[in-house]
Amino acid sequence: MEKFYLAATSNTPEVDFDFPARRLLLKGESYPESAAAFYGDILNKTSAFLDTITEETVQISVQLNYFNSSSTKMLFSLFDRLNLAAEEGNTIVLDWHHDIDDETILEFGLELAEDFPAIEFHAHAIES
Amino acid sequence: MNPPAEHESNKPCFPGLDPHLIFFYAGYFSQNIINAIGDAVRLRLEQTETSGSARRKIFSTFIEMAQNIVHYSSDSLTPPDQATLEMRAGSVMVSHVDGTFHIICANPVDPSFAEQLKPLLEPLRVMSMEQIKDAYRKTLRAETDENSKGAGLGFLTIAKDSSAPIEYGFEPAANNMQMFTLKATI
Repeated sequence: MEKFYLAATSNTPEVDFDFPARRLLLKGESYPESAAAFYGDILNKTSAFLDTITEETVQISVQLNYFNSSSTKMLFSLFDRLNLAAEEGNTIVLDWHHDIDDETILEFGLELAEDFPAIEFHAHAIES
Repeated sequence: MNPPAEHESNKPCFPGLDPHLIFFYAGYFSQNIINAIGDAVRLRLEQTETSGSARRKIFSTFIEMAQNIVHYSSDSLTPPDQATLEMRAGSVMVSHVDGTFHIICANPVDPSFAEQLKPLLEPLRVMSMEQIKDAYRKTLRAETDENSKGAGLGFLTIAKDSSAPIEYGFEPAANNMQMFTLKATI
């Protein structure tokens, strides 16, 4: 499966989903006009990719500076799908980066860790 | 003799207007306009002696409010059924009084939409912070409401960041619309 790449814009993150390398990255800002439209494609491609792998390790790094409420909902769906892949025998490693001042992003990461225990979760506090 | 030099951050930003005003925009909102004024709000807040945590909450509240205007204001330059590149009217204001930030938005809404908003907003005024966080967690996990262009999480996100209960109002406006106002405190 091919790599999926979108360059960052002022309101959407860099999306570097290197499926062949099993490395996924979201980096930047996330407050598109329609989060459902922006993340719909990402979810579909990720789901199709996860359908093709068994007993593999996938690393996902999230380095978002800010995401709005509708992006939050879509990120939750993305991790729901990744958790399913983990329950099916894959190893999913999530590196969750948050600014040291940003308790909202840390709290959301902890929610993900609680709801999706099959995902290996690592929080990283970044000094601003 | 000259008066003592005023501290840079105490200088009124907008001559002739309330000196507590940090940011004000009234007019048409689109996603591109939000990107641009969002940058201005961030930079303006960086000049104030405000913690990174408070600055992030103010920015988040500002974006949620501005995107609500783009999605839900009844005063639309673009066709009402157009789902992207929308442009709709409203206002957002950030003021700073005695160490507290007030973020207030306003936009006209259809009276029937006003009736849909009230039962969403009123509970948020009486809920404790724990209850708000609980409702947030539940809504995050619930299926998305079909009528919602966002995630239905927007008001909860605003209420979660507000240090005082949110305030809202509906007043009669032009063209038989209701002027919706919402205020958060950080």
